[in-house]
Parts: sequence; structure tokens; C-alpha cells
Amino acid sequence: MDNRSSVLSPSPADALRLEQVSFTYAEASTPALREVSLRIQPGELVVVIGASGAGKSTLVKCLNRVIPAFQAGAFTGDVWLFGRHLLQERVGELAGIVGVVFQDFEAQLFSTTVRDEVIFGMEQLGVSPEEMQERLDAVLALVGLTGFEVRDPTTLSGGQKQRLAIAAMLALRPQILVLDEPTTDLDPQGRQEIFTLLSRMRAEGYTLVLVEHELAAAVDADWVILLSEGQIVAVDRPERLLPQIELLTRYGVRPRDLDRICAAFGITAFPRDVDTAALHLREIGEPRSEPSLPTSEQQPIVPLLQVEAVSHSYSGGAPVVTHATLSIAEGEFIALLGQNGSGKTTLAKIVSGLLPPTQGRVLLRGEELGRLPLHRVAQEISYVFQNPDHQLFAETVEEEVAFGLRNIGLETAEVALRIEEALEAVGLNALRTHDPFLLGRGERQRLAVAALLALRPRLLILDEPTTGLDYPEQRRMMELLRRLHAEGRTIIIITHVPWVAAEYAERALLMVHGQLVWDGSLRGLCAQPELCASAAFRPPEVTRLGLHFKRTFLSVDECLAAFSSVAHQPFRSDEDHPQPVS
Amino acid sequence: MALFLYLDHRTFVHRRHPLVKVAALLLFFVSAFVMEHPLFILPLSASVAALILWTKSTPTLQRIRVLFLFIAIFPVLIWSVFYRNGTPFPTLPFLPITQEGALYGLGMAAKLGTFLATGALFLSTTRIEEFAYAFTLLGLPYRISFTLTLAFRLVPLFLESAVTVVQAQRCRGLDINSGPLFQRLRHYVLVLIPVFMGALRRADQMSIALEVRGFNSGRPRSSFQRAPWTGADTLAVIAVLAVTALYLSLWSAGYGRIRSL
Repeated sequence: MDNRSSVLSPSPADALRLEQVSFTYAEASTPALREVSLRIQPGELVVVIGASGAGKSTLVKCLNRVIPAFQAGAFTGDVWLFGRHLLQERVGELAGIVGVVFQDFEAQLFSTTVRDEVIFGMEQLGVSPEEMQERLDAVLALVGLTGFEVRDPTTLSGGQKQRLAIAAMLALRPQILVLDEPTTDLDPQGRQEIFTLLSRMRAEGYTLVLVEHELAAAVDADWVILLSEGQIVAVDRPERLLPQIELLTRYGVRPRDLDRICAAFGITAFPRDVDTAALHLREIGEPRSEPSLPTSEQQPIVPLLQVEAVSHSYSGGAPVVTHATLSIAEGEFIALLGQNGSGKTTLAKIVSGLLPPTQGRVLLRGEELGRLPLHRVAQEISYVFQNPDHQLFAETVEEEVAFGLRNIGLETAEVALRIEEALEAVGLNALRTHDPFLLGRGERQRLAVAALLALRPRLLILDEPTTGLDYPEQRRMMELLRRLHAEGRTIIIITHVPWVAAEYAERALLMVHGQLVWDGSLRGLCAQPELCASAAFRPPEVTRLGLHFKRTFLSVDECLAAFSSVAHQPFRSDEDHPQPVS
Repeated sequence: MALFLYLDHRTFVHRRHPLVKVAALLLFFVSAFVMEHPLFILPLSASVAALILWTKSTPTLQRIRVLFLFIAIFPVLIWSVFYRNGTPFPTLPFLPITQEGALYGLGMAAKLGTFLATGALFLSTTRIEEFAYAFTLLGLPYRISFTLTLAFRLVPLFLESAVTVVQAQRCRGLDINSGPLFQRLRHYVLVLIPVFMGALRRADQMSIALEVRGFNSGRPRSSFQRAPWTGADTLAVIAVLAVTALYLSLWSAGYGRIRSL
């Protein structure tokens, strides 16, 4: 399964070479990296994939000596960069040799203008003023930020910020650029901007190491490295590794829709993109005609929430939400979609009562939300923030859940009962006495949900519930929401992840520039590629594939089912959802 | 949320060399500082006000108007009440206030108001990098001036995360602004914990991001020429120096003081 011919065999001019690199964090009992060896040649794009805790970030930190210089622990092994054996270098000394771009773009920008941001590193390295100007112009042109020189970086979009962070690194002329999940916090538009930039950089001959959780980014790589528990499980060309559905799933990586579909029908050609996959699939036949789906268009009898002509603007600025009107019925599962800055978070906060609208009103079961006492609203509507760290502060998991219950004045016995119930629901009962800050990201996210769930709200609003989670954790979070929904709760998720919306939500709300441009079924939205494109919403691969056959599949399973009866090949289902081993 | 007081315009003042701006700031402070009599401070206040209008910095004044209100009221009250020496007001002899005390209070208000307005003018027309650059040129170690700029960048981020934390607490039924004082203080602690933990995580990431960009590289630094020194800069410095020289000579000649305190 793993082909080590080029990545691991010696070559006279390696850009990067790791030999038996191991690292154990000071407080950990097991190593985060175990005897990792690899070689990357100049000009190659290598994509590193793997579940949370697989050692991806640890590997990145070894490349520029953040490990062991910044991080206490036991490091063994050797790292060479373009023939230079790294021994005692400080991180700063490697600036200009290895560039690193991080996931959190806010933490890597510290200037008040785009120009100063790019110049910062060059000043540290003593680049002459004339050359600074030259390099500044060149890198801004490369990342597409020419003309933004005096803009305040905080006013840029996510994609622009991350491109600026890349420009700031490139200005140092690194010989190798490492990007650690650069697109995780970006919307689809921003993600696309980064991928376009990466292919441009590749064409210019940069050596790139990209850590990614989405396999779409790995299609054009020279090599894909799959890590698990600190070890390299597989190294191969993308066209050989990506179709290995079982292998990827076993190690917590979500396979691409296209690969799953082709594998299920025994198509051996590599489906590089949606168009290629459609060609291959056409050879199998046309899909069965659309089953007449029950149209659940009947109006709800008692709406849970009514949003009436709501607008909002922050401190007299331009309106962020304009004249939004909608009604939410008990028991709905809604995806709130739109680009960053389209107003979805603002709308969600208005709906949850956290933010009073500057115009219009929100009714909760006919009563105006703003006039209800806080403890009542808290028991009806819960808002789960994107970053669990904003919500956690107690010393134990149990205390964290108890906090809200005490605020609404419940008795001890009831509090204990509800803690039990909420932690059971999110699967954290075994960790009751643990410190929330020491939990993993996925566990913290679920704890944040539990803390609100204990209040038994009827409506749960979640801002990007799957961000920062790996595939098994994402599934786990979404299955939890599906269960809560089945129990009768109303769920609204704000999400950038197309498959999450498509597989779980029934209704979609799409926002563009503060306006609701779509309020209807998700399937209906996906059937309108122009509308989706205008809102920078990119339906999942399987949906886009379906459009070639005039069908709107919302999941791989739907697609498999539609083609199964016409397939020459025996249809090989990979179950309802591939269940990853954690 | 607007993060800085800086307002991006291209006026004459904005385009001055950072050193000129820092020098003007300090010299205006000195000029206002040596005077006690409001009539001698008012010309300075008027010039700063004119500069604020010229540089379109009035929105900054708007943002800090509450501070101006405090400054207008408190010195006058305090000095009027505590300075009992001098002549009482002839028409209002029953008031426990002296003419000198009231005058001194007015002078103090004018002085503090001018300080504040000058500071606001400076921050509205000078980017953080510019004054860090100026301080470095004046011999302040780079690490210190950089830390200063970083602090400016971080404070708004912390405020932003505090707002989010307060909202998250509201979802769990905690109204931070209700209840008796002691309870409210305890609530603030509940907000500070996540904000502080977040700040620590962020500081950790930032320190790595800084080193990756060559901070602490051990190589000699260079400086991007942010604004070349021009003839206009020389003229501006001369003008400000002239004003300061005038004020210092008035002061040494005994003008601008309030007698018989």
C-alpha cells in the first residue's frame, strides 16, 4: 500500500530530509511522532493528511525547529534542509529558509497595514530598504493584494488575511514553505483563493508542504503522506492513495465523494475532478429516474420563532443584515449558509436573542424575544459559539455543565440529573472530573454543547460546529445533532462545510451581503448552480456530479442508490457512512 | 469594531515624518505644561483644535468625548473647592470659592484638555508602526517599541473576545450586569478566565509566528524608509519649536502664572 520509491529513497538534492525523527511532548506518555523518515525534492508539493493527534502539526514544528526549541520534550532524529543539518539553530535563524503559515491567521498578523505586515520580517533579517520595496511589490502581486498596501489587515476577509500571511512569509524568500491547515478557518471562497495561489506558487517552482484535512487539496500533489499516531502509514501519488477508501477511513480521513463513488462501481480510472468522474460514470449508465420525494411544504401550525423584517447595523455603520423575514417551526433542521461577512452570524445572534435588532422584531412563540426575561430565553434557545474556549471556564467538566443550571435556579437533585443526562448525550460521562482545558478540541466542542443542552433548550443554534475537528469528530458531532433533532429539538447550524449542510440539514437559508437570497429546501438550493455560485456556496462534489445527470444528490449514498440498478459492475456499498476507527 | 484611533487621510500632518509628530507632541505638552493661566493655554488649545479640524480627526474626539467632559468638570470643581487662598468673588462673597482657585481650575481643565486633544490628534494621524519607528530612531530598544505596538494590536482583540464570552455566558442564563456589586464582580471574573486563557493561547502562537518571521533571528535589523524627511518636515519642526520657545520665554519672564496662591 505504500510506495516509497521517490519520497523515501536518497536523492542528491533533497529540499527536505527527515531521518528517524521522533518526538514525545514533556507531559505525554506516548510519542507524538515515531521514527518518521521522508525526503522531499525541490519544487514538489507534498500534502500531509491524518486525523487529529496523528502528528501533523508536530511534524510541521520539527521542520523549523519550533520543536525542540520552543517545546519541552524528547526529540531524536535528524532534519536536513537543502543539505543543511539542523542542530542548534534557533527558530528565528531559520527565517528565510523555512516559511511557515499557520491555521490561525489572526495570530500571525501584527501590523496596522498590509505593507508593514510584509515588511516586518524583512526588517528583522536586515534586507535593504530598496530590496524591501521590490520584494513587497512582487509578493503582493503574487498573492493578488496589489493596491492593498495601506489597508488595515483587520479589515480584510479571511482569505485575504491568509494570503497576506503567505505574502509575509514569501517576502523572506524561503526555500521551502510549510502551510499548516491554512484553509480550516476559511469559507469556501477563501479556501479557493488559497488553492489557486498554491497552484500558482507551484508553477513558480516553490517547494511546498501542505497539511490539510480536505483531500480535494491533495489531488494535484506530487505525494500524499498519511499519518496516524505519529507514524507514516502511507506515502503515495494522489491517484493511488486517494481511491483507497478503507485505508483513509480507517485512519480518520474523509475520502472524496468522487473516489467513493468510483470505487463503489469498480471504476479504476482516477476521478481527478467532477467532470472526469462524470465521464466515467456515464459509461455505467444513466441514473434511475428521480423517485418522487414527498414534498414537505405544508406550513407549520405554530412557529417556534418568527423573524419579522429584521435589520441590523453595528454602531451606525452599513447594515449587516437587511430586512430578513422568516419563520422557524418546531423540529426543523436548518443550515444557515453564506460567505464570511454575509451576515449569517449576526442573523443567528439576533434569532437567539443575543443581539437586539436595530429594526424589526423576533417573536418566540408569539412573544417578543427582547422583552422576555433572560432565564426564560436561556431555557428555550441556546447558541453554541464557534470557539469552545469562549464558553468554558470551570475547573471540571461537571462544573461546566452545572453552571447554567444554577443560573436558572434549579435544585441540587435536578442539577445532578441534568448533568448526567447532558454528558451522556455528548458521550463525556467518563470525563466528568477532568479539566475542560485539557480536553481535545472535539471534546471541548461537545462539552460546550452539553453545557447548553442541560438547559433543555428547544432551539439549538451552532456556529460552525465542525470547524477544527477531524472527520470522525465531525461525524460524531453531526450524529449527535441528528439525534437531538430526532428527539424533537430544532437545530440551526451555521456552516461552511458543504457535505455537513447537505447530509444533515433539510432547509437552507442562504445569505448574500446581509440579504436572505434563499429560504427553502437544501435540495432545491443545490439544484440551482448559478445561485450557489453567486453566493460562493459550493455544493458537495457528489451534488455537482449529479448535476451532470440532471439530478441533485445530497449524499454519496443517494448517488450510489440511483446508479446501483444500472451498473454493470456489482454495486459495492460502503455502508451508510464509513465508520472511522478512532 | 474600529480597532485604532488612526484615521487614514493624506493631510499635511499625516504625511509628516514620525519624528516630527513625536517632537510636536512632546513640545506641545511642554508648552501647555508650563502655563497656569487659562488665557495663555487657550491659544494652544485653539491651534490643536484647528489641526484636528484640518486633519479630519474630529471622529476621534467624538469617541473620547466622555473624557473631555470629565476634564471640563472635575479640575474646576476640585481646584475651586481646595484652593482657598486669594480673593473671594466680590459679587458672590458667600461662596467658599476664590477667584484664583476658579481660575486655576479653569487653567488646569484647559491644560488637561489640550493634553488629551494633542494625544488624540497624534494617534489619529500616526500609525503605531510610525511612532514605534520614531522611538527606535530616538534610541529606544527595538524590542520595547515593538512590544508597545503589539500591545496596541492585542487590546482590541481581547475586548472582542470579552464581548463573545459575555454573550456565551448570557446563553447560560448569566446576566453579567445584574445583581449586587459583589456578585457582579464575581461575574466579571467568570468572563476574565476564558479571555485570559485565550490570551495565553494566542500569545503562545504569536511568539512562534514572530520567530518564524525572523524576530530574534540574531541578524542586524534594517528599517524600511517609511517617510523620507522633507523640507516640509524641517519647516514644521521649526514652527513647533518657535511656539515652544515663545512659551518657555513667557514662562521664564513670569507670565502665565496665577499670583497669590
